[in-house]
Amino acid sequence: MVRIKRILVLFLVMLLTFSLVACSGSSQTGSKNSDSGTKTNANGEVDTSKEVTITMMVLGDKPTNGQLEKVMEQVNTKLKEKVNAKLQLKWIEWADYMTKYNLTLASGEPVDLIITATDWLDAWGNAQKGAFMDITDLLPKYAPKTFEEVSKESWEETKYDGKIVMIPEDSYTQWVNHGFFYRTDWAKEFGITEPIKDFETLGKYFQGIKDNKKGVIPWDTPGTNVTTAWGYTTSYSDAIELPITTGVFPIYWAESYEDKYTVMSPVFEDVFVDYAKMMKDWADKGYWRSDVLNYKGDTRALFQAGKTGADQHHTETFSGLRPQMDLKQPGSEIDMFAWSDTRDNLVSMSITHGATAVGAHSKNPERALMVYDLIRNDEEIYKLFNYGIEGVQYEIVDGKRVRPEGYDETKDAFSANFWGGRVDKFEIPSADKWEGMSEIYAQYDTIKKPYPYGQFVFDSTPVEAELSALSQVTAQLVPAIAFGKAGDPEKAVKDFRKRLEAAGYEKVQKEIQKQMNEYKKLVEGN
Amino acid sequence: MENSARRNIDFSTIMVRLIGYGFIGLFALCCLLPFVLILSSSLTSERAIMESGFSLWPKEFSTFAYEIVFKNPRLVIGSYMVTMIITVVGTAVGLFIVAMTGYALQRQDFLYRNKISFYIYFTTLFSGGLVPFYLLITQYLHLKDNYLAVLLPGLLSPFLIIMMKAFVKSIPHEITESAKMDGAGDFTIFLRIILPMTTPALATIGLFIALGYWNEWYNSMLFLSPNMEYRPLQLFLYNVITSADFIRNSAASANVTPQDIPLESMKMATAIVATGPVILFYPFVQKYFIQGITVGAVKG
Repeated sequence: MVRIKRILVLFLVMLLTFSLVACSGSSQTGSKNSDSGTKTNANGEVDTSKEVTITMMVLGDKPTNGQLEKVMEQVNTKLKEKVNAKLQLKWIEWADYMTKYNLTLASGEPVDLIITATDWLDAWGNAQKGAFMDITDLLPKYAPKTFEEVSKESWEETKYDGKIVMIPEDSYTQWVNHGFFYRTDWAKEFGITEPIKDFETLGKYFQGIKDNKKGVIPWDTPGTNVTTAWGYTTSYSDAIELPITTGVFPIYWAESYEDKYTVMSPVFEDVFVDYAKMMKDWADKGYWRSDVLNYKGDTRALFQAGKTGADQHHTETFSGLRPQMDLKQPGSEIDMFAWSDTRDNLVSMSITHGATAVGAHSKNPERALMVYDLIRNDEEIYKLFNYGIEGVQYEIVDGKRVRPEGYDETKDAFSANFWGGRVDKFEIPSADKWEGMSEIYAQYDTIKKPYPYGQFVFDSTPVEAELSALSQVTAQLVPAIAFGKAGDPEKAVKDFRKRLEAAGYEKVQKEIQKQMNEYKKLVEGN
Repeated sequence: MENSARRNIDFSTIMVRLIGYGFIGLFALCCLLPFVLILSSSLTSERAIMESGFSLWPKEFSTFAYEIVFKNPRLVIGSYMVTMIITVVGTAVGLFIVAMTGYALQRQDFLYRNKISFYIYFTTLFSGGLVPFYLLITQYLHLKDNYLAVLLPGLLSPFLIIMMKAFVKSIPHEITESAKMDGAGDFTIFLRIILPMTTPALATIGLFIALGYWNEWYNSMLFLSPNMEYRPLQLFLYNVITSADFIRNSAASANVTPQDIPLESMKMATAIVATGPVILFYPFVQKYFIQGITVGAVKG
């Protein structure tokens, strides 16, 4: 009996020590004060006598090489001197980031600044749930420069329920419109001397590879990439995509930019039948693997190894890929066939593709905005925070950013992944970016149309069930159609339409149209 | 006479053995080959994989994938330590609690056993979902960035309790009763009589718990933020791959030309790093495992 008691006691002691060890390892984050540390005195001046720590939620993997700490130390020295605050980053890693992002926001943990986005980080959904603070009245006072700089129209696009809930990244040029990258050296061999501007010519290029390049698959893609469905629709009709997700392919589009409030679906138009026919034809000719639907290869790496003739992604990717390809496949001089090349159907990106919000449970929203204002508008802090330390992470040669001599990626790499308010005026172009990009941007500028749905927040509650049913149908049928694996194309599209209707296509369309009409009143009424 | 008999026996046994060993050998090969493929791919240069796919023997030998995984040996070793400590402590504590629960729940003189059994079983049918679970751990127990957040949820699993209960049922209730007659307390009975009689079951359940902790990454991902220096091995390896994936696909990758990150061979190398120790450890517990699985069928 005594022995048993002893064993039990020992066991409990072990448990306790372990829990103590584990507990002491946890770090305390966030400031403990419940009242805000930023007061305004009688003259309306901001009083920052109390030092506070501002937390910022960013997406990405925390650099573990110590550079982050070094850079943040310099950033914090400047922040302390200017607004008496310290900035601390909270990282959400890429592994299952969406779940973690939404959980962290739902849990009510106090975070001051949050990187968000309406198109890939569910910003509206989180605004609906009350995760973001209303900063309409705080902005002019605590982030005056930002408030000035962002135009009135842009602020309109950040409002939920008439209140500003985030700060847009509206002065930063980036293009995430998709297309195909192809090798002009091969295209010339096959007699294609003009830049490729439509799918027919792309087909010719693929056929050329098939005929002349042994062992090269024209487009060696995994079957999950169904972006060609977007591409064909954009190239051969004037329809523009609506910000409503229905799984792997958006079913609902607007008629055209001129007729932007009419909800339709390209799937029910002839264009989709033509698309299905072309893809069936391409599949039969062997422009991709026959087991494409289960294939999981890395197209970009194969493209760089010269094993495939095309890669599919957006303009920003192209800007970095071009110089890399010039090294890996000298003379390849890759070019991009963007979907918009066919008939100039190009809509700008939403300015809330990157944004920063203030957490609803922030203890120091005023000081958080002051810190944000500095990151965005103080050139020194901006460069530190985005690029790192001059001489360690970068040097400027002829106005371009290059890596210093002896730079080692593993030891010296730094990133703070600040995608919620970069501005062109402080950006130093990277030497790794292809020089010809400015021409491409200029060409886009001549045809681009402003993004029309910035303030459109779709309330999906009445049609939640139908939307998830539609997502299931697209997941089942779109990949098969996109890679010509669905038998007779006309029959496949008919079947696809039938199943969409069964899943509640019309009910959802009516609901979107109803909300679109409201939205039209809101926009046109202004 | 004797000779022919022996030959007969010989012939039939040889046939049986030939077929038996042949079949088992083939089956073992089916299990072994994928592993050999993983091992050889992890030691192949990325270029060779790109150009000619995976093979059972490295076409171009390269240890580059391992160099990237072990780029920071301190972190790998730290992750190993964390995973091992969590696995050892979690398995010891978890096994003890599961065994106690399982034993108590099948004691016929325990009044509320059916109600409590149902209460435990019920959680396998209905769960609160992810958000309440997250809130419980972070807001009520305040276990964010604390190894306990990974340790506690894995201690008890309804499935294992039900399994233990079934095992203990095979021990006649009379044993407990006669021990009680002799003046033993409940704890004495449990520790001195029941536990020694259920070793195969304990080994099986222990292995399940241990494997669960060893492979655990989801809770670590949710509750252990990058602010912690050492995090469980599986999460560490998962991050190695996702960040490589990201660097590869981001236009911002300066100077790291994407092909310098051997993604395919790296996936294989991480698989080897993650399973290696388990493979070394398994032969030692295998006999208990087999016993444990068969114990329900034959009452020995």
